[in-house]
Amino acid sequence: MNPLKISIAVVLLFSFGLFFIGTDGFQAFTAETARTNDLIETQPEFPEVTLEDSHERTYSFSEFEGKHVFITFMYTACTSVCPQLEMNMYNVYKQLPEEAVGEDIVFLSISFDPENDDPETLSTYRGYFESDGETWRMARIPDQKELDRLLEEFGVIVIPDDNGHYTHNSAFYLVNREGNLTDVMDYTKVDEAADKVNAILANEKGV
Amino acid sequence: MQPIIGLIMFLFLMLPPVANLLESIMIFHMHMQMPLIAISGFLMAPFFMEKFPKFFAKWNERGIPGIILFTLVMTYWSIPRAMDDALTMYSVELFKFISLAFLAGVPLRASWMKLTDFWKNAVFVFFTLQYGLMGLIYLMSDSQLCNNYLQSEQITLGWGFLTVAIALLIYLIQLVIIDPSDYE
Repeated sequence: MNPLKISIAVVLLFSFGLFFIGTDGFQAFTAETARTNDLIETQPEFPEVTLEDSHERTYSFSEFEGKHVFITFMYTACTSVCPQLEMNMYNVYKQLPEEAVGEDIVFLSISFDPENDDPETLSTYRGYFESDGETWRMARIPDQKELDRLLEEFGVIVIPDDNGHYTHNSAFYLVNREGNLTDVMDYTKVDEAADKVNAILANEKGV
Repeated sequence: MQPIIGLIMFLFLMLPPVANLLESIMIFHMHMQMPLIAISGFLMAPFFMEKFPKFFAKWNERGIPGIILFTLVMTYWSIPRAMDDALTMYSVELFKFISLAFLAGVPLRASWMKLTDFWKNAVFVFFTLQYGLMGLIYLMSDSQLCNNYLQSEQITLGWGFLTVAIALLIYLIQLVIIDPSDYE
């Protein structure tokens, strides 16, 4: 082999390795995909936090013990992604069997803007999406430290901008009956998410 | 003289306040800091070329391996994930400086003069297409591609990519339609 061929081979091998390692084997070209893959693998536990919902009830996450919890993170002043996110959540909600909702699975929208999203604001917002406040609850986490811990644990990145808005990543989060995060789903694929949840519920019924 | 300027520039860019400032804005990170690091390597290149002339002569025949290395390293750093990783992992940040200076800037200088016009133009065409494509991706993506930057910054970066692509395109067009010998 002549030096030219060898050096080209070395360069190509190096670059292949670089791209391979840098994208987790051509799986993740954005940090968001990498984060999601990592979460599904590690299945972090939902941390102990105190939630305050639109009915001004406060409780910890163990309120939902023994039930699946379908979670989104949002803030009510959001005009871009969140309405879409919540609307899609509503469409998943509608596709689940009525008897399972509330019994086997609870929907929970968590605000990361506790300052502005008091129970009254959440209650108004709830109305837009026909959330009943029971089987689909909207809540804030008043304690900023607890909120930050949850966001960190679930890899939700929230960057405030100068106008009281936030840039944030969005997804459907599914926590299992034991309180572990088991899936992070693309919030734009409503049917896919609904099918997944339905399959999990049906599977449990079958056993 | 040039290698010393390059080294000073390289070290200056590495200073935490300088790095933080340039990285705080997405388009500065991609289209200012990264090219500047590569330029610092470009300036340092003569030092290595004089020190190891045999190495470059033997392993960088016709400049082809070097220009491929340059192209692929630059391409790697245009992936959104790479930028995020550089901000969250110290090792990746360090690798960014080293790879852009010594695996992009140095090989570019060591290769460019050896390249035939065909290869030079191929490099321009490649970067025109790549920057055009990256520009469209950053502009049209509905989702946030980098977790560390706002979506509005992503659009700015998209326009930055497109602007470079357009400039390269104009260069390529004039290559075809203007004959320099008309003006000599």
